[in-house]
Amino acid sequence: MKLDPSILARIQFAFTVSFHIIFPTMSIGLASFLAVIEALWLKTKNPTYLQIYRFWLNIFAMGFGIGVVTGIVLSFEFGLGFARFAQMAGPAIGPLIALEVLTAFFLEAGFLGIMLFGLHRVGPKLHFFATCMVAVGTLISASWILSANSWMQTPAGVAIHDGQLTVVNWLHVLMNPSWPYRLPHMLTAAYLTASFMVAGVGAWYLLRGKHQDFARRTVALGTAFATVLIAGQVFIGDLVYGTMLKYQPSKMQAAEGFWEKQSPSPAPYYWFIIPDQKDQRNRFALGTPRLGSIWLTHSLNGRVEGLKNTPRELQPRMALVFYAFRIMYCLAMLMFAIGVASLWLRFRGTLFHSRWFLWMLVCMTPSGIIATLAGWYVAETGRQPWVIYGILRTVDAVSPVPSQALLSTLIAFVCVYAVFITAFLIFTFRIIRRGPVEAPVYPEASGSIKNAFRPHVLDSPKRLADSQFS
Amino acid sequence: MKTSNVLRRVYGVTAALIGVLFFFIIVGVFGLPFAIAGLGVFVVGAVVVCHAFPTERAEL
Repeated sequence: MKLDPSILARIQFAFTVSFHIIFPTMSIGLASFLAVIEALWLKTKNPTYLQIYRFWLNIFAMGFGIGVVTGIVLSFEFGLGFARFAQMAGPAIGPLIALEVLTAFFLEAGFLGIMLFGLHRVGPKLHFFATCMVAVGTLISASWILSANSWMQTPAGVAIHDGQLTVVNWLHVLMNPSWPYRLPHMLTAAYLTASFMVAGVGAWYLLRGKHQDFARRTVALGTAFATVLIAGQVFIGDLVYGTMLKYQPSKMQAAEGFWEKQSPSPAPYYWFIIPDQKDQRNRFALGTPRLGSIWLTHSLNGRVEGLKNTPRELQPRMALVFYAFRIMYCLAMLMFAIGVASLWLRFRGTLFHSRWFLWMLVCMTPSGIIATLAGWYVAETGRQPWVIYGILRTVDAVSPVPSQALLSTLIAFVCVYAVFITAFLIFTFRIIRRGPVEAPVYPEASGSIKNAFRPHVLDSPKRLADSQFS
Repeated sequence: MKTSNVLRRVYGVTAALIGVLFFFIIVGVFGLPFAIAGLGVFVVGAVVVCHAFPTERAEL
């Protein structure tokens, strides 16, 4: 059997990047969540917040570690699997990735040790500062990476001479047209991921009748954050949609499942289709009448553009883009419904007793990860056949390496990553099964940085604890 | 069916319809200014409800 190196290179990158994105999504969301929880603990001195912090810190640490390791692999893959892309786009992409390492990765690495192991060694305020710095580091990291990826979606600020790309305006490269919308979209997705994870685990404890104080606070916090965030995400998502419709119409044409240059008026909104890319038609389509016009054109009778507006050789695969978009969008609607339901149950005072709602939260625990993955599939498969939209095609970006080399490394990645995900899941479920451990109000300091930020609360924990409760 | 149950269901359906209306407004069906205003009202409303009904404290 003859294997196509360009297909293998794409499968390998798709696999490794899909695996990788799960962990930064969790890390970005959990780092900010931990900062909020630690701030609440410092403000209230309620030991439950410290319990919540310690519990999620363990899961954050594992996710962060796997995220870093799997992220480094991607940089090497640019060179190994997509050497022509690296050669051509290097002047624009290279500095962005290098700056991510210099600014974000160094910041995170510097403070991560204090965050993970310093609770008993430095003062609470310095520890809180370290947590905030790690959270800020994840944001900066996401910003650089989104800038690089958005540039591939909507390239700007470059000129091409003799097949070599030259940067003519760094600001335009950095702040390319889709970056201001895609960055908040990704960050909100990460925060939503963390919110549903936190609420889901809390709901599980409530259903099992365990760790009531911990569970109620996490469900209350998780649903409150999720409700506010999903409203923002729906709004930002619509802005991203409008931007991509302007700069990458083929992606959104594929996402809506219409083939003809103009849809019927009023346009339906398709939920399920069986597209036939070869015949450029849908073999079957199931949708809601008129909803397509209302949602997509914001009018009662508007027409939606179909994929035949894009030349056949420049069309993405409709099935991939359509279903990835539907998964993301349907999960967003479900999240919105859960947010509204949580407000209603809160209003009625039955947030912690409605078993159907708690089961919904448990089922929605991985929803943020699934929605984020689906969103990235829309972004990446919808950009095809381009790797840099309008500049370099994916088939022209692949390295001239033998297919056997790509196949063997792909098998190796699958095996190693299977070990990673198995270990992560085993330890995460073990942490959840064990539950939060009782935490004292004041952690004891062993004092490697004794007077950092004047942590007087640690000088004599017993005295302060006595004065607190006397 | 008791009246209170009927009322509860009416309130539940009303809340769901309000949620759907907010979703349509926020996705921009009525235009960007309405979407921004709808988002603002929803977020402020959510924060007010979460503050006014702090269930995790009241039920402990």
